[in-house]
Amino acid sequence: MGTIMGQLALVIDLNTCVGCHACAVNCKEWNTQAEFGPLSDFDPYGEKPSGVWYNRIMTYEIGNYPHTQVLHLPKSCLHCQDPPCVPVCPTGATFKREKDGIVLVNYDDCIGCKLCSWNCPYGCREFDEADKVMKKCTLCIDRIYDEALPPEQRQPACVLTCPAKARFFGDIEDPESEAYKLIKERNGFILFPSADTKPANHYLPKVETKVEVDDNVLKPDNPIFLEVLSRHKGGNR
Amino acid sequence: MHPPMSLILFFLTAGLSIGSFTGIFLIDLIKGLSSNVILITKLIATALIGLGAFSASFHLGHKMRAWKAIKRFNTSWLSREAVFSGIFGFLLFVSFLIQLFYNTKAYIILDILAVITGWLSAFSTAMIYTSNRFVPDWNTSLNTLYFLNMYGFLGTSLASLILYLNGNVESTKIMLIIALSLFIVGLAIRVAYNVRRYIIKLPTLNDALNLPQNREVKVLDKGSTTDNYCTTEFYYKKGKKLLPSLLPPAYILTFAVPIMLLITCIAKETNTSFLALSLMSATVGSFIERWCFFVEGRHVQNLYYGLL
Repeated sequence: MGTIMGQLALVIDLNTCVGCHACAVNCKEWNTQAEFGPLSDFDPYGEKPSGVWYNRIMTYEIGNYPHTQVLHLPKSCLHCQDPPCVPVCPTGATFKREKDGIVLVNYDDCIGCKLCSWNCPYGCREFDEADKVMKKCTLCIDRIYDEALPPEQRQPACVLTCPAKARFFGDIEDPESEAYKLIKERNGFILFPSADTKPANHYLPKVETKVEVDDNVLKPDNPIFLEVLSRHKGGNR
Repeated sequence: MHPPMSLILFFLTAGLSIGSFTGIFLIDLIKGLSSNVILITKLIATALIGLGAFSASFHLGHKMRAWKAIKRFNTSWLSREAVFSGIFGFLLFVSFLIQLFYNTKAYIILDILAVITGWLSAFSTAMIYTSNRFVPDWNTSLNTLYFLNMYGFLGTSLASLILYLNGNVESTKIMLIIALSLFIVGLAIRVAYNVRRYIIKLPTLNDALNLPQNREVKVLDKGSTTDNYCTTEFYYKKGKKLLPSLLPPAYILTFAVPIMLLITCIAKETNTSFLALSLMSATVGSFIERWCFFVEGRHVQNLYYGLL
């Protein structure tokens, strides 16, 4: 691997993400019909649908009741700066681009041995049972360099579609980029630092919001409670 | 981890092939063997490594592109395994032909190279798993030692049978002592591997999410209503349920039965049935044991799904 000129990546604001899965759905929509598609689907309307997704969103609960927070974690290939999936690939199908640091799979060289997925600590590579090759997020490389698109649309589909504007895209090594500034200003962090893969994608931490509630509000004779109670009973009638 | 049957079959056939040829080669060096025994071993070993390669190809999505696996020799253990096992099989076959058709000892050079490349292939196979730091159970030199030792005890068991069937009673005894030692060492390594599995500290979901350890975290939603590639490839639910009932027969067949039979053969009387039974037991046992090896493997990506 030569010197990486820049490092394109996603920065995801966990404080804003509402876990709506729009990024995953739009990723699937774009990538199933664009240059890297299709992404296979099996039994899509049946009992056990399955298929390839570049982006999956998981939801966690942090803390103990009643002091809990919900964390939605969108997770796609993190385009690691030291990607463990690259050296293990026996054919060189998986590679990291020197120009922009994007990790890609050359489907024509992939033999479908799955070793790259075994060596990814994030579970961000999936085997396409239809094409018999490994697939993963391309950072919408077929969008971001497409000069036929207006400049403001040369971004990954997931970034463009996010209704909460929780996703940002840019060169995390360029001090002028929004992605770089967000990481610096809002303490952007990476997943699984002990895995030592230097992920390029960063996350902006959740800000804990504490709501101070007056003890009187929680008393059973509080008129608001009484009103809620009467409405509830009314609803039952 | 989901156990790939095709790869397990490759471990066994490669082990029988490399181990048996090495055993016969060494005995020939020390005591000298008839040309027939060496030829038979080469033929069996070539067939076994060929069968193994054929079997391993079923693990691939694109079998016809398998040749491309030689391209990343400088970084990939899988690439090295493919290259070395291919060279091993090729050398063995050429050596067989030379020994069969030409009255020359030149094949010995090929045999030496075959032994070297065979063990480099075995080492590369082991390193595919040992070098994976995201399956902490595998990420230990005990894993490499076990693989090499398994190739040794499977191969020497086969070599013992070949020698005995060809009337080399004295050489059989030597081979049996080597095989018995390897079975005992193998058992010790497997026990050490198991002990390590229980004492190693695995990363937590907090590590995976880069959260402080004192924060309680639990998975609320895995993001899909059904299983996906990550939850089936890295966590084999059925296998986890079967493990407790499969581990005892795996150890009994791999170690206890062969050790008892080999001790009987060495101390009392060697007979074909005991040698064949020992070989079959070790092979079937190793198949189950390697199956368990995969199912036992805990991949750290399972943390994100609350499966570790």
